[in-house]
Order: sequence, then structure tokens, then C-alpha cells
Amino acid sequence: MKQEKVMKPCHENIEAEVTETMGLLDQVEHLEVHHLFRVRLMQRVEEELVQRGRGRVSTRLDVGLAFIVLLLLINLASALLVIKPEESQSAATVGQLADNQSDDYSSHEFAYYDQAASYVPEKP
Amino acid sequence: MTSDDELFRCLVTEHQEMVVNTCYRFVLNREDAEDLAQDVFVEVFRSLEQFREESKLSTWIYRIAVTKSLDHLRRLNRKKRFSSLKRMIGINDPGDDIAAPSQNNPAEAFAGNERSRILQDALQSLPETQKSAFILSKQEGYSNQEIADILNISVSAVESLIHRAKKKLHDKLYTYYAEH
Repeated sequence: MKQEKVMKPCHENIEAEVTETMGLLDQVEHLEVHHLFRVRLMQRVEEELVQRGRGRVSTRLDVGLAFIVLLLLINLASALLVIKPEESQSAATVGQLADNQSDDYSSHEFAYYDQAASYVPEKP
Repeated sequence: MTSDDELFRCLVTEHQEMVVNTCYRFVLNREDAEDLAQDVFVEVFRSLEQFREESKLSTWIYRIAVTKSLDHLRRLNRKKRFSSLKRMIGINDPGDDIAAPSQNNPAEAFAGNERSRILQDALQSLPETQKSAFILSKQEGYSNQEIADILNISVSAVESLIHRAKKKLHDKLYTYYAEH
């Protein structure tokens, strides 16, 4: 038990260790920047510029492609607009013919079918 | 060379040291800090046109540096958790066994020693805003007002965050040394 008490670090010792460890923060040396730092940085910046340029070209290509797709869509839409009325027109023509045919029997020439016969008895 | 390129070169010259050192304070590794600083300036280059002058240009750049550093630490933490999980289920990643390169730089030696590992672990356990305020307060060149601008909070909030971070860090370290 006595030995344990001796082995256990006392408060002063712990405080001294803590102070010494925290003191390391005040001893961190001031770094001199590496002489190639700026050269490397400028290389990276130039790479960045090249990438940005590539990005712009691809953006331009994207815009061009989008424009072509838009033109195609407009062409398709206008083609559909031209074809559709013709279709409806032809459908209308068929309907009209059918109507006309049915109307033929109700026309003036065939009107006797509809008219009740006017029977006049002969006078003796 | 356009005026934008010229402006960017001036920005790099003016702020590179502060950005590299800010990142270094967070990650405590020279290579990582320089890589992060490069990412910061590439981000600045990309977004310079969108800078709305709501804050000072320097504040905006240092804010990007802090954000990138925190992202890097988060990635490291995730990686660490994933490796320990893999070890738990018995998958050994050959990359984990490769020894770290020897450190011939005093700063890297600092980062490599046991005491610094304990400190880093304690720092990582702090909430991000506390950690950021505390780390920035330790770096020369940042006043509390500037830290407040970078973190987009009030000066009194910065003071409170630093105070709480110090206390929490102290408690963590105290517990660690009491147990070991």
C-alpha cells in the first residue's frame, strides 16, 4: 500500500508534465516557405486554367448539341402539325361522302319515298 | 499577363507564409501544411471573382486555410478510425506497416515525439471551434479581433472559446498523466 502511494505521481508532478506538454504549442517553430512553393502553385493554377478551358469547350459543345436537338424537335413538331390536319381532313372527307350518300336518298329526286301518296279517288 | 494573374501573384507573395504556418499549426507536418496551403491558394484562384468583400481579403484567405486544415484533420481521423477497425477485424493494411520517413527537421522531430503525440490527441478531442480559436491564438500575427473575423464570431466568444479550450486541454492532459 505504501509502495503504491510512492509509485502514484503526485499532483505537482502531473501539473509539471501538463505544463511542459502544453508549452510545446509555444515552441512550434515558424516555417519558411519552400522556395519551390510558388512554382508548384503556379503549375497547379495553369492546370486549373486548362481544365477550365476544357470545361468551357465542353459547355459550348453541350449548348450546340442542345440547339440541334431543339431544331430537330421543332422540325418534328411542325411536320406533325402538317400531317395531322391532312389526316383529319381525309377523315372528314370520308364522313362527308357517307353523309352525301345517305343524303342522296333524301334528296329532292327521291323525295317520293318520304312523301305520303296523295290518293284522289276517281269520280264516278 | 492579365491584371487578375498579377493580383493573384501578389496575394500569394503576401500571404503564403501566414497560410503555410496556419495550416502547419493545425496539422503539425510540413509536407501536409504546404499541400494544404496550395489547395488554399487554388481555391482562392477559383473563387476570387466571387469574393464579395464582406470581409478583408486576408481574413477570407485565412478562413479558407482554417477550413481546409480542419477538413484534413477530419479525413485523418476517419482514416485512423477505419484502420483501427480493420485491425480489430484482422485485416492488415500493408500501408500501415511502412515506417514513416525519418525526421531531420526539428519541427518534425517535435511532431514525432511522444509528448507531441499526446498533445495532438488532446487537441483533436476539442470541439472544432475551440480548437480553431485556441490554435490561432497561439500563432503570432492573429489578434482576437482577427480570429473573430476568421471564425465569424464575436471577440468575446473567441475569448470564451480560448479559455474553455485551455481548461479542457489541461483536464485531458491531467487525466492522461494521472493514469500513465
